[in-house]
Amino acid sequence: MALPPIVLIALFIGFPILLALGFSLGFTGGLNHTISVIGQNVHEAQGASPTFGAYGDLFVDRRFLGDLGVTVIVTLVSTTAVVVLATGIGLYLKFRGGVLGKILSGLAVVPLFIPVVIASWAILGFYSADGFLRSVFALAGLEFPVWSFSMVTVIIGSVWTSLPFATLLVTSGLQAVPQAMIDAARDAGASFWRVVTSVVVPMAGVPIIIATTFTAIGILGSFTVPYFTGPNSPNMLGVDMSNYFSAFNQPQQAVVMAFVVFIIASGIAAVYVWANFRSAKESGAV
Amino acid sequence: MKLTNALGVTAAIAATALALTGCAQSSTSPASTGDAATKTVRVFISGDTNIQNLWEKDLGPAFEKANPGYKVQVTIDLHGEHDAQTLAKLTSSVEQKKSPDFDLVDAGFVPKASTANLLTPVDSTKISAISSVSADVVKAGGTGGIPYRGSSVLLAYDSKSIPTPPKTLDDLLAWIKANPGKFTYNSPKSGGSGSSFVATVLDKYVPADARQKMTTSYAKDLESNWDQGFAELKGLNQYVYQKGVYPNGNQQTLDLLSKGQITMAPVWSDQFTTGVTNGSIPSTIKSVQISNPSFTGGAAYLGIPANTPNMDAAVKLANFVLQPEQQAMIVKDISGYPAIPLNQLPADLQTKFASADPNNLRLPYFDQVGKDLNNQWDQKVPGQ
Repeated sequence: MALPPIVLIALFIGFPILLALGFSLGFTGGLNHTISVIGQNVHEAQGASPTFGAYGDLFVDRRFLGDLGVTVIVTLVSTTAVVVLATGIGLYLKFRGGVLGKILSGLAVVPLFIPVVIASWAILGFYSADGFLRSVFALAGLEFPVWSFSMVTVIIGSVWTSLPFATLLVTSGLQAVPQAMIDAARDAGASFWRVVTSVVVPMAGVPIIIATTFTAIGILGSFTVPYFTGPNSPNMLGVDMSNYFSAFNQPQQAVVMAFVVFIIASGIAAVYVWANFRSAKESGAV
Repeated sequence: MKLTNALGVTAAIAATALALTGCAQSSTSPASTGDAATKTVRVFISGDTNIQNLWEKDLGPAFEKANPGYKVQVTIDLHGEHDAQTLAKLTSSVEQKKSPDFDLVDAGFVPKASTANLLTPVDSTKISAISSVSADVVKAGGTGGIPYRGSSVLLAYDSKSIPTPPKTLDDLLAWIKANPGKFTYNSPKSGGSGSSFVATVLDKYVPADARQKMTTSYAKDLESNWDQGFAELKGLNQYVYQKGVYPNGNQQTLDLLSKGQITMAPVWSDQFTTGVTNGSIPSTIKSVQISNPSFTGGAAYLGIPANTPNMDAAVKLANFVLQPEQQAMIVKDISGYPAIPLNQLPADLQTKFASADPNNLRLPYFDQVGKDLNNQWDQKVPGQ
């Protein structure tokens, strides 16, 4: 009875992907006809042999290569920050607990309930030239740098929006580590760091990896935060795709970018699949 | 077993079809077939609330009053956020020869839809007032675009700190360099006021005959004339707000100006007037048109989908909107520019345009040329 879900996935995910892949390779007939009539700078395939014209356009474009680099760097930095913060909060809750631990883990989840658009505006305002931070520093006679419209606010915004989900995943993973294991390690004379690095984190490894992959894929494809708070150039590929699609009216190039992001995300997704497989194996399902 | 499988598939497809229709923007369904339907004009607006008010409160009721039995239904897509979907819907409806759910559309994509043959071609035999509109304005809208109102970009400045604003483009460029960090414009891709500033600087170096071609057709080879202008714009990077910050959208520029973070910026005439009236822009901020060259301005176009079932009623409404009384409403309500010659309007409204000539706006570039401008600006100016 697996048929209906498979039909659904094939129809609404697989088919559009194939259509887009065909379009990016210059197959502009059939369902791709209209978009190729409206779009500018569309490369058309000669007969059955595909054209890589749109790919070529982008990979010689310094702007695209720069934006690709920025996207990868923002993803790496933000993901690292999110995982470190989430693990830190989870560990504090596990070992100290108490009111502060609860407040920390509670606060970390708050961004989940604030729409990203609103949050982006708030972050932009907070770090802007006439923002809160600079005003406070100015009271003390200090000059705080202006971070609005820079990659710094994009990273702060990405961490802000990704932290709640990662914290939920990592915290629950860490909570699931049996206290008996920790006590046993301590009895054997292990220091706090030894317990963390050799027992707790490895045992919660799978949830942490899953949180990492989700966070990385989310940030890789983000649009709202870099669109509102980032500079005009260089910016992340999510913003570029939207620009190419509407402002520059070059849908084919936008689709090519989507495939570049798709390939990077597939690499991250492979890690996710591996982690899931490992956890299934541990629980004896495979 | 086979039967259950088939049933499951059908149910799944039906469910998703339902879900998809649920996701689609709510649209007005045709009232009914027959006589009643042909007298209802479904107007689709992709724009701001001022345009919505114009249609819902003034143009629509006036039309219904003047033509008993006719009805006007207005649907709004605020800020044109779903323009891509609306255009796709129009395209698929024309390809499938089905009603597109609207009979008259006011949206930025009208010239584009006209190029793709999605709109009913119009000329002065169909819409009589078109003959009195400047030929270039009509041509820029394509065969299916009906120009019905206009607006232009002005230079807004804070009169507290700038008693005498620049009068020409050269003066403005000199002012920007003399006052670092006090000027910016939104990226041309994100809004018309920024793209008008960019086009105006580029035009300083574009020969008049080349420019003429670039406003009425997709003359890609003439874009080489832009090189000098882009170099000039790149040179401004270090003098604009925060050494090269170009906000996203007309509104963000206005916000920076209202909050005093910058003291000068290009703005849309109608958006600016509305902002001053409702208090979101301080009254100390004034606006002025520069010259030599002036900022561009252009028309907003109405389009009639090629396969609308209510063609006659839509044509009737488009004709109605271009009459002097309705054009006067546009001037009064949204501070817009009339599409028809100024001397056809009431005398008291004519004086409103003492400093600007709404019939002689410097046209923006042709739609596709404008897209290339967005792209090239993005490559050549910010962060370089």
